Amino acid sequence: MRYAEPETVEAALSALSTHEDARCLAGGASLVAMMNAGRIGPGMLVSLHRIPELSTITETGDGLWLGAMCTHRTVAADARLRGAMAAVREAAAWLAHPAIRNMATLGGSVGLADPHTEIPVALVAASARVEVAGPGSRRVVPVESLFVDSYRTSLQRGELVTRVFLPRGEDGAVGHHLRFSRVAADYPTVSISLVLAMDGDRCRQVRVVVGSCGPVPLHVDAADQRLVGTRLEAEDVAEAGGLLARAAAPIDDVRGSAEYRRMLIPRLLGRALSQARERAHV
Amino acid sequence: MSDKVSVSLTINGAEHALTVAPERTLLDVLREDVRATGTRRGCDEGSCGACTVLVDGVPVLSCLSLAVTLPGRAITTIEGVRNGAELHPVQRALVLHGAVQCGFCMPGIVLSAKALLERNPSPTVEDVRQALGGNVCRCSGYTRVVEAIASLGGRP
Ligand SMILES: Cc1cc2nc3c(=O)[nH]c(=O)nc-3n(C[C@H](O)[C@H](O)[C@H](O)COP(=O)(O)OP(=O)(O)OC[C@H]3O[C@@H](n4cnc5c(N)ncnc54)[C@H](O)[C@@H]3O)c2cc1C
Repeated sequence: MRYAEPETVEAALSALSTHEDARCLAGGASLVAMMNAGRIGPGMLVSLHRIPELSTITETGDGLWLGAMCTHRTVAADARLRGAMAAVREAAAWLAHPAIRNMATLGGSVGLADPHTEIPVALVAASARVEVAGPGSRRVVPVESLFVDSYRTSLQRGELVTRVFLPRGEDGAVGHHLRFSRVAADYPTVSISLVLAMDGDRCRQVRVVVGSCGPVPLHVDAADQRLVGTRLEAEDVAEAGGLLARAAAPIDDVRGSAEYRRMLIPRLLGRALSQARERAHV
Repeated sequence: MSDKVSVSLTINGAEHALTVAPERTLLDVLREDVRATGTRRGCDEGSCGACTVLVDGVPVLSCLSLAVTLPGRAITTIEGVRNGAELHPVQRALVLHGAVQCGFCMPGIVLSAKALLERNPSPTVEDVRQALGGNVCRCSGYTRVVEAIASLGGRP
């Protein structure tokens, strides 16, 4: 196995291009676990930890750019992630356990695209955009366009994620992330991330995304539309939840059966909406 | 052929000049090269916490950390927590509360607790439980472990 520790994004891109089987190494939480298990044996690792640009956080008028190497711990502690952006802060604050949050990174969560994880879910709910660097150019794409399948992204060989933009969202919008897990440190059985804006007691805007219920974070426009304009009463939530549950493609695993996960969706949606709503009024 | 990388790791304050292949984890290097076997190998996938060490004062999993990435960082293992002949206060509290049974998870628990107390000298029971979220113990049922650590914070 070859190893490189570039100090700039450009040097990282050229290191990635020298070997057909090169992988970026971020926190290593998942990559090294897969290497330990013998599931992968990359020909080259390009560690991103010496590239200062990738750990930078920049605030703009519209939101916050978070560097790909920001750890979940850093994201969880950033008080500027308020309003709609709080969905991502909350997901980072409660995922797994402290040691994983100290090591694992935002960019690693995007690059991994593990359907059992929740950072991708929160990023889709928050309408995040991702800057991707490739040989000779950078582009910014909606985060959902990166998640194409279980553990598969639309990143091309030799590309890497440099940073993620979280828009502030509209005035009064609140983000919320709800995880349902067997014990606190476990992967979620189902997670729900949402961004909600109310007009008095009516829902003005909502974006709901469900995790661990299919190969990629599940977002169903019709479910959002079913809630907009309503008072979020039991019947509205049940119908929107039903739309999500029918669109979901969960699997059976140790954390729950597919059927159980489908049953959880409307119930967790109701809980997540009422928690977010309490916050929308403060 | 794997690259062999020369690194100098700072483990419990001492410099260790080592030559390691990039795929070797800090856990491998601690146990096999440095012969500091207090750090335990449990699951090798980040789920059990037995291999927890501190890097620059915060808990990380040595089974998921590649040694080549760690020069210049302060690594603390269980061998480095006592003060001369004195046990660390966390170790003393665990003994006093009868919290230790087989002991396999204890190095990781001691380091997670030490990091917590350095950041938050008077944690609540809930703070302790959260801080130990990644440390699995199959003997104790956790009650005495949590009581022992919380007792150091001076809260009722
Ligand atoms: C025990 C355990 C429990 C976990 N529990 C949860 C949980 O409850 N909820 C949850 O959401 N997640 C959970 N995770 C997943 C965790 O969030 C991911 O492991 C982590 O975010 C991956 O980040 P990393 O920095 O460690 O990436 P690495 O492991 O270093 O890399 C992961 C993948 O992403 C690629 N990559 C890394 N950085 C980039 C980049 N900048 N651009 C492109 N590709 C990149 C790598 O090449 C690799 O393929 C858990 C993981 C473990 C090991």
